[in-house]
Amino acid sequence: MTGMAAYAGVHQATMPQARVETVDPTTLHLGGEFVESNLGSAIEPDGSVTVRAIGQQYSFTPQCILVPANTPIKIRATSADVVHGLLIQQTNVNAMLVPGYVSVLTASFTQPGEHLMPCQEFCSVGHEGMWGRVKIIPKEDFLAIAATQRRLSCVE
Amino acid sequence: MIEERLFSLKNIWFVGSVGAAASVLVVSGGLAFLVLPYTERGNRIAGIWDAICSAAGVPKKSSQSETVASQTKLSSVVLNSDMFKHPAPVSIGRGATLAQQCAICHGPTGVSRADSPNLAGQYPSVIYKQLHDFKTGARVNAVMSPFLASMTEQDILDVASYYAFLPRPPGYHPDTAEVAPTIVESGAPMRGIAPCGSCHGGIENKAGSPWLEGQSAVYIKAQLHAFANGSRTNDISLQMRNVARQMIDKEIDQAAEYYASKPLTESGE
Amino acid sequence: MLNSKRLILAHFWLAFALFGLALLLGAWQMFIRSPMAAWIGNPEWYYRSLTAHGTIMAYVFPTLIAMGFGYAISESSLKQALIGARWAWIGFWLIVVGTVTSMIPVSLGLASVLYTFYPPLIGNPFYYIGIVLVVGGSWIWVALMAINLASWKRSNRGVPVPLAMYANVASSWLWGWTAVGAALELVLQILPVALGFKSTIDAGLARVFFSWTLHAIVYFWLMPTYIAYYTIVPRAIGGKLYSDSMARISFVLFLVVAMPIGIHHTFADPQVGAGFKFIHSAFTAIVALPTLLTVFTICASVEIAGRLRGGRGPFGWLTALPWQNPVMLAVAFSFIMLGFGGAGGLINMSYQLDASIHNTQWITGHFHLIFGGAIVIMYFVIAYDLWPHLTGREIRNLHLMRVQLWLWFVGMIVTTFPWHYVGVLGMPRRMAFFDYTDPAIAPDAIPVVMSAFGGFLLVVSAGVFFAILYKSQRSPLCDAGPYRFSVAVHPQTKVPVALNGHALWIALMIGLTVTNYGFPIAQLTVRSDTSVPAYYVGTRK
Repeated sequence: MTGMAAYAGVHQATMPQARVETVDPTTLHLGGEFVESNLGSAIEPDGSVTVRAIGQQYSFTPQCILVPANTPIKIRATSADVVHGLLIQQTNVNAMLVPGYVSVLTASFTQPGEHLMPCQEFCSVGHEGMWGRVKIIPKEDFLAIAATQRRLSCVE
Repeated sequence: MIEERLFSLKNIWFVGSVGAAASVLVVSGGLAFLVLPYTERGNRIAGIWDAICSAAGVPKKSSQSETVASQTKLSSVVLNSDMFKHPAPVSIGRGATLAQQCAICHGPTGVSRADSPNLAGQYPSVIYKQLHDFKTGARVNAVMSPFLASMTEQDILDVASYYAFLPRPPGYHPDTAEVAPTIVESGAPMRGIAPCGSCHGGIENKAGSPWLEGQSAVYIKAQLHAFANGSRTNDISLQMRNVARQMIDKEIDQAAEYYASKPLTESGE
Repeated sequence: MLNSKRLILAHFWLAFALFGLALLLGAWQMFIRSPMAAWIGNPEWYYRSLTAHGTIMAYVFPTLIAMGFGYAISESSLKQALIGARWAWIGFWLIVVGTVTSMIPVSLGLASVLYTFYPPLIGNPFYYIGIVLVVGGSWIWVALMAINLASWKRSNRGVPVPLAMYANVASSWLWGWTAVGAALELVLQILPVALGFKSTIDAGLARVFFSWTLHAIVYFWLMPTYIAYYTIVPRAIGGKLYSDSMARISFVLFLVVAMPIGIHHTFADPQVGAGFKFIHSAFTAIVALPTLLTVFTICASVEIAGRLRGGRGPFGWLTALPWQNPVMLAVAFSFIMLGFGGAGGLINMSYQLDASIHNTQWITGHFHLIFGGAIVIMYFVIAYDLWPHLTGREIRNLHLMRVQLWLWFVGMIVTTFPWHYVGVLGMPRRMAFFDYTDPAIAPDAIPVVMSAFGGFLLVVSAGVFFAILYKSQRSPLCDAGPYRFSVAVHPQTKVPVALNGHALWIALMIGLTVTNYGFPIAQLTVRSDTSVPAYYVGTRK
């Protein structure tokens, strides 16, 4: 059993985040990585995409996350207030957002499409209204939008 | 029966159980701290000590990569539940004097006769935050912004404490027994809209969210539209813009009318 | 001998009364969030009900059962009157006072934080104080069980401790140490904030403390059930226990490996290092061992019963079993639910598979199947088996008992199977309502309705259970004789000292807790930069 867990741990894509990172939830909006203008999807020099998002009572920002298909994605997310959860339906993306800490996930989506992204941990009354969305689009389309914008999302 | 000694190297149960537990621990610990950190993609390990620390979960500050700064001025208020817990009487008194200049729009008792917001009984954190945002330019209003040029941080705190101290006005449509519209009572979960009352009082209050009962419908509508079209951006991390831009015009009207007409005495229980 | 009948009955009655109330709340919750009900006008009522349901079902109900059963085991297996009966009553009343204290703010809507607490949400301090009182009351039981066993051992040197008492004391030690995690969280972290002495709290550390309790508490719920498997079932169906040593080994294994594995509840958390997640995952794999041992031993014991009753051939013993006997029926149901639940548990323990179902309705389905199903059905059996000895009145209507057990089994399967299914579809847990008109959620609608009907069956079953106990009060007095436990095929005359006491296993339990939790807790405790502002709930105006 231990061997199996070890094997799976080494060989599968879903891994616990490698490092524990801390952040002050009360000052996210004052500047730094989680300021609102820096949230959303960004293309890294190596061609991968980093998505930054926050959970707060009772919404995710950005509300709709836009990512390209067939691209390594790194999601960096945290909470601005209480414990939230970030779950992308039909995928393995599932993490707790604990205020004070940054959650880091890796993912890669093969099929373009749209998924619901509910908050999966009780975050006080209003929790039932905390649903975001994730939109996966072909890589070319994503790059075309990225040519004009530095941070992408699908919020209308 | 001769009592065999339990905690002894001669006892096979002692040796066996401790040995088994220790070997599981050593093997899994070895894999966990010395092998796994090197196998994870994108994890740059700077030597064995770093590998152990990262696997053990020693926290580090969030990395400072290049960030995109905001084009508009954002709110710089940091709210916490400790603020205004015990307002000093002297602060309320000073606030009363300062508030005389507000009376022309917001009413001498904090109840507006125009379409300006009522301030009597408003949560102090709300008044503090909005005044602070007017002062820093995170929120802009032709009438309000000039007033703030001369107000100090202490003035803002005092005015907030004073208005919070005033009693909320009684309702002015006592006969309406209307049912709250769906958007107010339940929100719209699939569009990420929680019930209004889960932040704005009634069900629960979140620091920084105003009490809405009895506010002017014109004012509520104007603010929801401003949040929706992005002309007002002083809500922290898009908290209200996320909601307003998902609301359709009819829902904005319903919510505004509901809050404007609801008798105050029956609310909030 | 059963001297403290009133004490034991008080525990069982209070446990089942609270269970009945919490079950009604649960059924209401299933209905209100299903497509059959309109969206609840004030969702806070849902979370209020959920907090009460979880708090009672997780902390109060199983604790009272374990305590009442524990006192009965101590007296009847050691054949000595309970030492410290007055203290036992104090423990009982602490639980009564604690339950009332915590349920008042919950019912007023001042503590809708759910039974898992999860700071920085902070409710009314009396909610937490009540829970601390409940835990305090149960610790009196832990101490009494150890004292009673020690006293018996002094006057019975060289005699093996009866299996029932050995297991019972293992269970009490497991609880004693398990509860420490949540108790530390409540006393050191939450209460200072709830009482207003502090306004910040480390939400990550709180989750680590809670995971210490959260996993092993499930094994504590399981303990009375396992004790019933080993010491009631073989006797009740006319068989013998296959192996006494096997039983002892599986109980001490629970003691050792139930504890240092809780961090698998924080697989998806950002505040725990990957290394500790891996170690806990490895230890979690071992916890399947005592359950497999139990399944093997009990199946073998049941086979012995079948063969003693004249069953022949590889499967003939199955038909020879006393299926009319409610205990036989219940243990079969319990094993089926344990099997399905255990298979689901294997999914949860693996980091990779857990990622797709973490905090979905799968998890709720999983623990309802294990706890509400496999475990609680044996609590019913314990009550049925013990009742005539406590009240002196026979329960004669076996037919009604079988109906009750069937209803509970079918109800639990109908409730939890659709629950697992919608979890796999990604339906999040703990939401007051869902928009089933949305095409992405529409497939959840029918399973959720089915699940709610399963919940209604459970309410009916509980109603029948109470009716059975009530009717037994009116049957004529009888002498049920002394309360007995099953006998092993080869009764033990000599037991290795390691399996006649708990010291080695308690030492291992504490040692492994230190190695597996020490560093994650210590390093978050010493840091000040990970504390965040508290969010107080219950401010309506």
